[in-house]
Amino acid sequence: MSSSSVGYGFVLGAVVCAAFGGVVGLTAGMLRRDAGFVWVRRAAYAFFACMLLANLTMVQALVRHDFSVTYVSHVGSRATPLLFTVVSLWSALEGSILFWGIILGAYVLAFTLIHRKDQPQAMSLSIGTMLLVATFFSFLIAGPANPFGTTSPVPDDGPGPNPLLQNHILMIIHPPMLYCGYVGMTVPFGVAVGALLRGEIGESWMAPLRKWTLIAWGFLSVGIVLGSWWAYAVLGWGGYWAWDPVENASFLPWLTATAFIHSTMVQERKRALRAWTMTLALATFLLTMLGTFMTRSGIFNSVHSFTESDIGPTFLVFIGITLFGSLALLAIRGPVLAAQEGLQSPLSREASILLNNLLFVAITFTVLLGTLWPTVNDALRNEKVSVGEPYFNSMAVPIALVVLFLMGAGPALPWGASEPKAVLRQLGIPALVGALVVAICAASGLRGALPLATFGLAGFSLSVTLRELFLPARVRMLEKKESPLVAVVRSAQRARRRFGGYVVHIGIIAVFAGVAASSSYKQHVTGTLRAGETDKPLTLGGYSMTLKRIEEGTEPHRTFVATHLVVTSPSGAVEEIAPRLNFYERSTDPIATPAVRSRLHEDLYVSLLAVSEKGDAASFNVWIFPLVAWIWGSLPFIVAGALIAAWPSRRKAAEAHAGAVALPAGEGPPGGAAQGAA
Amino acid sequence: MKSWLSIAALAAVTLMVVFYRAFQKDPGSLREVPFLLKGKPAPAFAVTDLQTGAPVTSEQLRGQPYVLNFWASWCGPCQVEHAAVEWGARTYGDRVRFFGVVYEDTQENAKRDLTRRAVSFPQLWDPKSRMAVDLATTGVPETYFIDASGIIMDKYVGPIDREALAYLVGRIAPPRAEARP
Amino acid sequence: MIALALATALMLGDYAPQKMAEEMLPPEQEARVQRLGEQFRCPICQGLSIAASSSPAARAELNTVRALVREGKTDQEIRDYFVSRYGEWALLSPKAEGVNWLVWLGPAFLLIGGGFTIARTLRGPKASTAAAKAPAAPPPAEEDEYLRRVREEADR
Repeated sequence: MSSSSVGYGFVLGAVVCAAFGGVVGLTAGMLRRDAGFVWVRRAAYAFFACMLLANLTMVQALVRHDFSVTYVSHVGSRATPLLFTVVSLWSALEGSILFWGIILGAYVLAFTLIHRKDQPQAMSLSIGTMLLVATFFSFLIAGPANPFGTTSPVPDDGPGPNPLLQNHILMIIHPPMLYCGYVGMTVPFGVAVGALLRGEIGESWMAPLRKWTLIAWGFLSVGIVLGSWWAYAVLGWGGYWAWDPVENASFLPWLTATAFIHSTMVQERKRALRAWTMTLALATFLLTMLGTFMTRSGIFNSVHSFTESDIGPTFLVFIGITLFGSLALLAIRGPVLAAQEGLQSPLSREASILLNNLLFVAITFTVLLGTLWPTVNDALRNEKVSVGEPYFNSMAVPIALVVLFLMGAGPALPWGASEPKAVLRQLGIPALVGALVVAICAASGLRGALPLATFGLAGFSLSVTLRELFLPARVRMLEKKESPLVAVVRSAQRARRRFGGYVVHIGIIAVFAGVAASSSYKQHVTGTLRAGETDKPLTLGGYSMTLKRIEEGTEPHRTFVATHLVVTSPSGAVEEIAPRLNFYERSTDPIATPAVRSRLHEDLYVSLLAVSEKGDAASFNVWIFPLVAWIWGSLPFIVAGALIAAWPSRRKAAEAHAGAVALPAGEGPPGGAAQGAA
Repeated sequence: MKSWLSIAALAAVTLMVVFYRAFQKDPGSLREVPFLLKGKPAPAFAVTDLQTGAPVTSEQLRGQPYVLNFWASWCGPCQVEHAAVEWGARTYGDRVRFFGVVYEDTQENAKRDLTRRAVSFPQLWDPKSRMAVDLATTGVPETYFIDASGIIMDKYVGPIDREALAYLVGRIAPPRAEARP
Repeated sequence: MIALALATALMLGDYAPQKMAEEMLPPEQEARVQRLGEQFRCPICQGLSIAASSSPAARAELNTVRALVREGKTDQEIRDYFVSRYGEWALLSPKAEGVNWLVWLGPAFLLIGGGFTIARTLRGPKASTAAAKAPAAPPPAEEDEYLRRVREEADR
């Protein structure tokens, strides 16, 4: 049997399993029967198995260069190295959706395994919802985006994957991270819809909702940062973020998920903001779907977008159903979601989180509006307008600065009401630190209101964050006479989410500083160098560069022109860098690989523009970006923080379990919650 | 709660309508860059002949229809259309003047490219692309059709073929009327 | 379909490895060129500005910006120059006029509306109930208040 029919068989199997599990789950959940759950679980396992096998079949076809499979004939090539052949699984539309399927399968499998002993009716609803989403995706794979078609006649070789995707190692990690973030939002969506369908929103729902959002959020954050790093290291235009529709598509759910993570704290403490928190959970999923739609429907103009496809209309119908279904659920369950406790003081932690949520939603709205505006205008008015970087920067930067301020002010505020005097005392030292940072920067010759404000606020927020991180440890050291290390570890263990959250904040503050410094104080020069001419160097910001030689070479899947530059840095250190142009066999345009000399305080970024026909001269785009490495430097903090916060803890699990049993009578319909102990 | 839910529902309906309308559009039109000079007088230009160095200005060309074909030696699609443009110059050369315009290239490379093929019409050298941007090009190949009064009747984006060329030349220079009773 | 194929071909074809670096204007004028360049959309690379892109079309347009700056044109005249050729499409941030006000003011309306809602939530009728007025714990000595809170929070 051919790979095509085997693979397609698995996809059909996935459609059947997912649809069966979805229908059984929702029916059993709504009828409040326990019996259906075992079938839902089996369907979830079977869906995963089918998706895994379908993906393995595709990988095998790619590796064996089986060009009878349409997808392989589109992206495969005998010249492509093995690693990139495997990676080409997600390098084009059909494969990326197939890959999406296996990630979704893995998430559903993990969720089902972890929660298999939880309340069966509730879990039937949640897993059922996830499986309905899975039905849609496997339907896409089976129909409009089928990668397992057959080609005839079978070609001898294919064009290979998009050269941009073969040019850098980051392309191997970045898309899976982003997909894990995107797809992961299906799980909180399933949990939230389950809760709303059931009509009970207690702590037993909130714990998994929080945890799974946090996991997906972690992947999404890493995916976004890696994506910008990739753009910086590969595309050669010296930027890392262009407010492109595809970048915005990944940023939107990140914003609402971040708002969600913060608002759950209020919900937990104050039992308020329930409707709002649920809305954020649903909106996050909807935005991931909208983002996928924008990337793949072909009606948005983007450098990254996949080419034309037929999945747009199908996707639109799915988004429509999900969108109106979510709105209807929120409307119906409005009474259950009403706040049980009021919020009091404007000078409190909860008020700062409310403000944080408002700002995040405002940024989300701005980015969404700006991204959709050209499409809206074209569709409704036949007018072509553009919305790009200048708009997004001027709108989002001021709001983001308030967020940065809140990142410092919020954690210094207590829950509940607070004394203004006490608050001022808490903020005194951090404010002083902020002012000091501004003074030092201004004294060292830095100008510009926005970057200076950013550095000042970053100093302010960082000092609050560090105090919040280490004060519990200091208290332990003083009171329990623990050693510093033990005290830090213990205090982190005692309050994982709090500790992890602050670690993430450090990373975000680094991103703020890196973005502000690299965009405000970049230096740029364009120049031509002749090989061997050491007396006429190209200079920028204390660096001087001469061209040693120009080399042409061949690698298995490409040829290249590399220019060897000798760089003398301001400190006098001499080193050689080699920006190059890569030429791929089946692509007419060369792909530039810039050379980056990265240091903590600044990057020297050299991009090869052109080489003279005779091969004796070359011209370059040279930039200096201060602090730009801090943006990717945030990765360890974000990863560590998310891991600390999301790490399963026995204590929490036990509490959540107990919570399911001891649900207050008013929380859910009688009988519903009590079975949770089973 | 109720009020903002209805606002959200309204926004959702609008969004669906927008996407539905977007799907009805020709997907190609999405990438099309608006061209506002169509039907307007061509901006004045003053460039030189690539081979002879003689000046060529829009003023000299007034009173006769002409075709401007922007191309570059590095441009793949341009290689595809050269034959069609050359055919056009030979077929309609008596009614319409044809010019090639070198776009974002070096003189050496352009000249070398010209030695590889037969070209019967003059090539213009636009050193800083001022003429190209004045005429609102978006890249190469692009072909402009300018009538005797200096109005840009059309711009063709992408490699042109004989059929399109014949049609568009007809718009700036109607075929000589046959003697009719 | 043909238009699409063409667009793709254009995207692939537009690279000029031969063209060498441009001569720049004196630093002050050059900074203005770059600042203006960041406002105009590169026709080929779609999302990027002509200052950010190194494609030939962007380079051609940026050179024209240089020429216009050298000729002493004002920012507004240079903007008008591009809009009269490529339409509003050329501007990366839409002109604040007509329906475009919506893009500029929409987020502001949202912030005002949201701020109002938050203010109402914080001062709402529920907030003044007796339960809210009685703090859960007796107010401790002022100096220890912060430490107490940190300890309490860290123990959760």
